[in-house]
Amino acid sequence: MGKMENSEVADREKMLIDQFLEDNVLFLGPDPEIMLEHDISPRSEMEEVALTKYVDPAAQALIRDRLQAGANESFEMLEQMGAAPGAKWGDLITGVFTASGDLSVCSAGGVLIFASLVHHPVKFINKYWKNDPTVGIRKGDGFIHNDARYGNIHNTDQSLILPVFYEGKLVAWAGATVHEGENGAIEPGGMPSAAESVYEEGLKMSPFKVVENYELKKDLVTFLQNSTREPKLQFEDMKTKLFACRRMEERVLATIEEFGLDAFIASMRKGLEDCKVEVARRVSEWPEGTVRSMVIADSTLRENVMVKINLELRKEGDSLICDFRGSSPEFANRCNNTLLASLKGMLAQLFLVFVWPDLPRNQAVFAPIKVIVDPKSTLCSSYHTPNAQSMMTFFPAFTATQLAVAKFMYSCPEKFSKLIAPWHNMIRTFIWGGITQHNEMVGNLCADLNGMGGGARSDRDGEHAIAPIFAPMADLGEQELNEEEVPFVQIVSKKLMMDNQAFGKYRGGQGYEMIASSLGSPLWGFMTCCIGSKMSSVPGLFGGYGAPAYPLCKVKGVDVFEVMKTDPRKFEFSIVDIMNKRPFAGASYTTHHTGMQFEIAKRGELYMITQGAGGGYGDVLERDPNLVIADLEQKLISHETARELYCIVYNPDTLLLDRDATEKARAAERMSRKKRGVPFKDFVKKWSTQEPPADLPFYGSWGRDRSVIYAGPYGGVPRRAMSADAIEAIYMPNPRDVRIAQLEQRIKELEQSKNA
Amino acid sequence: MKRVAVDIGGTFTDCFMVWDEHYIESKALTTHHNLALGFREALQAGCAKLNLEMLDVLSQVDSVRYATTLGTNALIQRKGPKVALLVTAGFESSVPLSRGRGYGEGLDSRSQQDLPGACRPDALVPIPMIAGVRQRMDAVGNILMELDEDDLREKIRDLVDRGAQSFVVSLINSVVNPVHERRVQEVLLEEYPEHLLGAMPIVMAHKVAGRKGEYVRTSSAIIDAFLHDVMYHGLSSLELNLRESSYKKPMLVIHNSGGMAQLNSTDALQTIHSGPVAGVSASEHLAREAELGNVICTDMGGTSFDIGLVVEGGVKHYDFNPVIERWMVSVPMIHLVTLGAGGGSIVRYDRMYGTVQVGPTSAGSDPGPACYDRGGLKPTVTDADLLLGYLSADNYAAGAIKLKTARAKQVLEEEICDVLDCSVQEAALMVKRRVDANMANGISTELRAHGYDPRSFTLLAYGGNGPLHGCGIANQLGIDRILVPPFCSVFSAVGAGNMHQLHIHERSLFMWIFDSNSRKLYNDYPAFNKIVEELEEAGRLDLLRQGMKREDIRHHLELDLRYGNQLAQTTVVAPKMRLERMDDVMAIINQFSVDYGNRFGKGSEAPEAGIRINTIRVQSFVELETVNLSNIIPSGTVKSSPKPTGSRKCYFVGHDKPLETQTYDHASLPVGAEVKGPAVIVSATTTYLVEPGWRVEIGEHGAAWFLRDGAEMPKLGKKSKAAKV
Repeated sequence: MGKMENSEVADREKMLIDQFLEDNVLFLGPDPEIMLEHDISPRSEMEEVALTKYVDPAAQALIRDRLQAGANESFEMLEQMGAAPGAKWGDLITGVFTASGDLSVCSAGGVLIFASLVHHPVKFINKYWKNDPTVGIRKGDGFIHNDARYGNIHNTDQSLILPVFYEGKLVAWAGATVHEGENGAIEPGGMPSAAESVYEEGLKMSPFKVVENYELKKDLVTFLQNSTREPKLQFEDMKTKLFACRRMEERVLATIEEFGLDAFIASMRKGLEDCKVEVARRVSEWPEGTVRSMVIADSTLRENVMVKINLELRKEGDSLICDFRGSSPEFANRCNNTLLASLKGMLAQLFLVFVWPDLPRNQAVFAPIKVIVDPKSTLCSSYHTPNAQSMMTFFPAFTATQLAVAKFMYSCPEKFSKLIAPWHNMIRTFIWGGITQHNEMVGNLCADLNGMGGGARSDRDGEHAIAPIFAPMADLGEQELNEEEVPFVQIVSKKLMMDNQAFGKYRGGQGYEMIASSLGSPLWGFMTCCIGSKMSSVPGLFGGYGAPAYPLCKVKGVDVFEVMKTDPRKFEFSIVDIMNKRPFAGASYTTHHTGMQFEIAKRGELYMITQGAGGGYGDVLERDPNLVIADLEQKLISHETARELYCIVYNPDTLLLDRDATEKARAAERMSRKKRGVPFKDFVKKWSTQEPPADLPFYGSWGRDRSVIYAGPYGGVPRRAMSADAIEAIYMPNPRDVRIAQLEQRIKELEQSKNA
Repeated sequence: MKRVAVDIGGTFTDCFMVWDEHYIESKALTTHHNLALGFREALQAGCAKLNLEMLDVLSQVDSVRYATTLGTNALIQRKGPKVALLVTAGFESSVPLSRGRGYGEGLDSRSQQDLPGACRPDALVPIPMIAGVRQRMDAVGNILMELDEDDLREKIRDLVDRGAQSFVVSLINSVVNPVHERRVQEVLLEEYPEHLLGAMPIVMAHKVAGRKGEYVRTSSAIIDAFLHDVMYHGLSSLELNLRESSYKKPMLVIHNSGGMAQLNSTDALQTIHSGPVAGVSASEHLAREAELGNVICTDMGGTSFDIGLVVEGGVKHYDFNPVIERWMVSVPMIHLVTLGAGGGSIVRYDRMYGTVQVGPTSAGSDPGPACYDRGGLKPTVTDADLLLGYLSADNYAAGAIKLKTARAKQVLEEEICDVLDCSVQEAALMVKRRVDANMANGISTELRAHGYDPRSFTLLAYGGNGPLHGCGIANQLGIDRILVPPFCSVFSAVGAGNMHQLHIHERSLFMWIFDSNSRKLYNDYPAFNKIVEELEEAGRLDLLRQGMKREDIRHHLELDLRYGNQLAQTTVVAPKMRLERMDDVMAIINQFSVDYGNRFGKGSEAPEAGIRINTIRVQSFVELETVNLSNIIPSGTVKSSPKPTGSRKCYFVGHDKPLETQTYDHASLPVGAEVKGPAVIVSATTTYLVEPGWRVEIGEHGAAWFLRDGAEMPKLGKKSKAAKV
């Protein structure tokens, strides 16, 4: 055979092989082509045509407003109809997507990150199910999805996605997402921290069809109900999401009827393109440069180790590059791993809420921003690593970025909101589960997580316990309504806590304390899932303090409801007083990090946690003394803090400020600071090391060198040093085994000591 | 019937007087330092039209009714006593934290999104004035911890030392067991007895709001306490003034629930927004009398656009957690939505989309639109309306304000035309289209969220800018019929003149009417009926106290129902006042299913998850004689083509070139007159813009019907005796 013939044979064979492989796929896992891309899709043929036909920007704006009103309407409907606590208190969203799957219009309320990640499953459905004869996409179909590996944060959030057809043509998608809570995981409530593999995290739904002819398929609903602890919730909210999507479909179709299909398609697409151009323009006005920041997550939720989240934020022309290389490796058997798509979704939230809140909430806002990560790092975890608690790494990544962005924004000529220190970043709440007073099995969480403290601003203090980083206008709810439905009492319910503050020229907003106890249930339990018990997860800005670190406190071996009846004066409405005074004889008083796996709580035992503060801004010595006095009057800070930290002098009985003495005290403290300081080279000499200290359980790069990633040592597993381009997942030992080993070692030591 | 109704607004005091078959409207400037002066002036103006003495009128009327913004103004100005708050220990921060989202309540969506810029409103009760009381009640009213009275007395003294002038007591779960709240009141009275000068008003939260939700209930009680003094002094001095002017009956105060009561049966909180609510009530009466079917009431003024909803069948739409100023509260209030759209809405260039944005910020009345020439530097909707030819520069507000076209042109050119490279008229048309769309979207969202199609509604347009933008809004909504109501410049006062005496009592509870776990339907009828009886009795006592006859008192039973554990509460009007058999339970379930399906979509009902009653609500009322408005529809036989006062060129959406547009004087248009668009009709208080494709027919009492070409006037089933003006 000649060369030509050889080539033809090769081509034909290649085609045969490709066809064979395409026809014989064992399993359609997440598609990297879809999952790694966060830019908007290339213009489709339909969009190209529409954009040439329909060019009036004013009319396009009217159409977008109309769609926005539809999205808001369906959001309100979802919030009203939803049964999950998340739906009731703001943990939800609705959106309209282009036919290609790009999020174009999204409800004004709700958790943007949910919607900004749904484009992945829509694109998966388009790519794989559209032409599959066993699935297909038809009018009246609906797809359910919750697996973060196909685009989501974690699998407690469930989405329903509805294709919108007009005259037989797929023209858009409607999506609705709710934080559902319970999902059949190893622990109740939907966010297990005990899960050591993805198979213990509960339902893992890749996008599949669960609705035909606008009806939920009962066989599939039954299967899903059978797979979770709350069959009622699973059913109610699937129906709710379906009808919210249908309402949006109605609005889309009405808009098309009124303005025409081309106008609709052109508006959806042009809105995205214009937004992308605007973001690039805004970025181009930032000063050129690089800002580095770092946040340490102090726990995997199973053990206290140092998980480094490393960021180098670079601004080059109209590009903004978030380079997270050097961050911790992924954990093979811990659920704190973040998928790259989830990270991007969270960063989109940062820019839309904290930097450019005036921009429309769509996918294009984040499109011009680049993200670089090490593969198999904890911010780019792989398929087999669990991710139910991905917030434990992507919230710190959010904070690292917020800190770095603030440094750029300081000298940025045009600002679209206030310059702000980092917001509090942890979901400090009780996850709960068990049997209610109404004899129902449930598993979910309290809306208390929505009260994260706001960061201090460049011109005023932060707002106390105001909103989570992921949702403006979220709701703390009403305790009376909670107690009506679930069998525990918040004896102290969201009470601002003295000195729970990030200090500064302007202080961060404070957090509150919560004391909960089970009452009226045969079986009830709590879990908590936060980092930041040993080391603050929220730094300050420009000399402001970071948030404090927060432990979990427990009092066991007591029924406080009996104490309240028999000796009520013994009960103290404060964590500090209970822990310091130990008023209940015979009870045990313990503190823990806030990664508590689900634990059965007996009637009257106390579980006590604290909501976190936002970061402080500027030097404490520059704080207006009158503001310090105002904080004292409100019992937000102690006299010790006022005197020792803010260095003000006043009469403690009358709170009358002595201005001159304050000036002197502050001048003295400034002098004292100078004396305590050391020259930079001495500081480096003393503190800078080539590697992490040998006994430090450290995960991530060390210093400026991001090419080597360290992991460990922990629990008898020695430290490893890996090349950043060949990271291997870290297996953590079982904390129980680590504890047993520690105890055995202790026994051995005691025996040796006795024998000696 | 002889009656006086007054709506005291921020600028004008509107008066509507019924004197047998005569209906009189009059106005005077509101006198904030002494409301009685403005009232007397307005009333005297009305009396003069009938050649009657004010004393004669007041001695003969069956009632004097007030709707007032006094409370709203006091809240905005933070004019009130130093209120102290006693709450259950452990809940001291519920009010300061305002459920987190309190920072954004009452603000537009853009401000709500901006977390770095978020600021909570200045507190009505600052943190040092809040104290925790050692006690605790559980969800069903069992006492978990007895009230510690020694501790309570210490806290009270401390608050008094801090300057407390008034007390609010709001304890957890007090709506299911108020025993501790009552005891705190007793202790307060023991410490500061009523007969001594140091006595202070005490508001118990469970008396103000009967539903669960500690934050919203406490906010309600705080606002009530904060406004109590100013409302009491303001209204009682008015009442005193009336008595000195020969009026011998109790004065009636309009409530935001859509009813009214005497001063001694009115919470200060119930008077907030009573003016706009009276407008909705007037719309409801008008719709019923004139058989209009479903009506959307809109009031477009200088800064805001209020939307209210009136539907057939007497279903009232309430907000159970309305936002008052910046605080969410827990009182049933007639549902109203306010958008930031009005004549003063500021126009900006939208750089990203290359088009115009309108509102929600407003130039207000000071400096006002640029064309007022009072220092306004930004273009507004009114500037665009002037440039499109709709407004007369010399005859705006009956000539009271001279408009400067050159100023309007200059600011629009600077802000929009220079950037978009377009003419001022093109820019002004963009503004008109955008602001009409904003309002239409607001209406559409509102209606559709309640399960209604806007196309089945009549648009009621009042307020200074309503008749000007009515056609534009209706065009976007597909509505064919707009009614500018009779007496539109005192429309809220008309509503006040038509209200009934009404009291609402409600009870929060957790009651499965169908328990899906045990698969049982509710059958404890005596327990249910006992609650209804108690609520009826509370309403009956309210009305008897005001001199109503027992036999005239009627009740209306509503239930807030939900499927499973949803947040949604659909209010269902119970077909019967008592449950007697399973048929009655099923009737409620079926009614719920129909109402829910209408609102959220057929098939969205989920009885499989169980059905719960969350609130039982009883409205107790006495129906009183009302104003006859049924004759506002022109007979259809006598039509005249009135003579225009002139013509000018106006620009309209959808027309490339200006159209020659005839102008008319509203005062000279007779009943039955028909004006075809395009046309501009000028009245002393507003401008009616009849866009191409529309016509206007004039009805009685100044009513004006805008009808799209091809649309018909509503047909009235029965004709009533016409009232004379």
